[in-house]
Amino acid sequence: MSIDATMPILVVDDYKTMVRIIRNLLKQLGFNNVDDAADGVEALSKLREKKYGLVISDWNMEPMTGYELLKEVRGDETLNRTPFIMVTAESKTENVIAAKKAGVNNYIVKPFNAQTLKGKINAVFGE
Amino acid sequence: MAAVEKIVEKARVDQIVNYIRKDQEGDISLVEIMSLAELMVGSMQTFFKELDTNIYKEFRELADYIGTAKNEIGRLQAGDLSDNYIPSAGEELDAIVTATENATNSIMEAAENIMEADPSDSDAYQGVVNDAVMEIFEACSFQDITGQRITKIVETLQHIDDRVSRFASALGASDVGGHVSQEASEREQRKQDLLLNGPQGVDEAVSQDDIDALLGSNDDSKLAEEIDDKIAEQTALKKSKVKKTEKPAKAAPKKPAEEPVAEDQSQDDIDALFD
Repeated sequence: MSIDATMPILVVDDYKTMVRIIRNLLKQLGFNNVDDAADGVEALSKLREKKYGLVISDWNMEPMTGYELLKEVRGDETLNRTPFIMVTAESKTENVIAAKKAGVNNYIVKPFNAQTLKGKINAVFGE
Repeated sequence: MAAVEKIVEKARVDQIVNYIRKDQEGDISLVEIMSLAELMVGSMQTFFKELDTNIYKEFRELADYIGTAKNEIGRLQAGDLSDNYIPSAGEELDAIVTATENATNSIMEAAENIMEADPSDSDAYQGVVNDAVMEIFEACSFQDITGQRITKIVETLQHIDDRVSRFASALGASDVGGHVSQEASEREQRKQDLLLNGPQGVDEAVSQDDIDALLGSNDDSKLAEEIDDKIAEQTALKKSKVKKTEKPAKAAPKKPAEEPVAEDQSQDDIDALFD
């Protein structure tokens, strides 16, 4: 699967600064079609309104966490094929295993760099 | 002496009981009843005397304990903690959050300016880059100030810890399960259910390489166990090293109330002082 640089990407994080960082990194990697949401509820609503090529989500958010969002996405027939990368400070093995079981495509631990983000996006799209 | 008195009293009571039992069939006169009552009262005196002394001792000890507790509560200076120390630490933390946020925004803005600059006009581009670099340098100065603020917060926490520990030690109190509100309990349950562990310590976090290995593994439970064991070993090793090189405890920190968090003075205000 080749990467379409024009695909819409949804960045989900409750910290505006983090959204800004990921947005800029994505821009540097050639992805300019980026939307954002501040938590799982807002993200789910956006995902049901528009087709996204990739979701990049934080874990720890209120009222709906990224983990809950992932399970909602995987449980929804129209959304369950959307690639999902978790970008989080949750760095325990139990988190990684839970996310893997819930169907995450990749998992990045914060802090991270552009190279890691690029590598994981490439891995998700099989490049 | 008290033991002998007790034996004598018991013998007297036994005599009275035997006397009543013996004369059960016949009438007992009022005089005899009075005499028996007098004997009984006399017999019970030692008991009541002993009872009085024990109760007095108990009350005395209780009063001493309450007195000590009252003194210790006073020395805890809970009002001082909640009026000065805790608000002061809160203000420092707020200032840190604001400073880091401002610095991050400044750095990001500078980086975005570079990203958006047109490299085809080399002179203009050079100007944008130079300005942005200066902005980044300036923004990084937050680290020094936040470091000092964090030191003050750590000192405040040490001070509170000292006072509470001394209080608990003076009252001989040991740890018991504390009261947890319904709200706190629900919050804790949610954290457990949704694996909201928060960021781990630098040495306790799983590395990106280990995460990649976990995601690619067919037996992730076994691999997770190995990773957790490795992290636990590293943490234990580091803790033992820290213990060996631990410095003696610092002297009690200065009271923040004596050094209130000053309102930040602008550079203009400072310049005005020299005019």
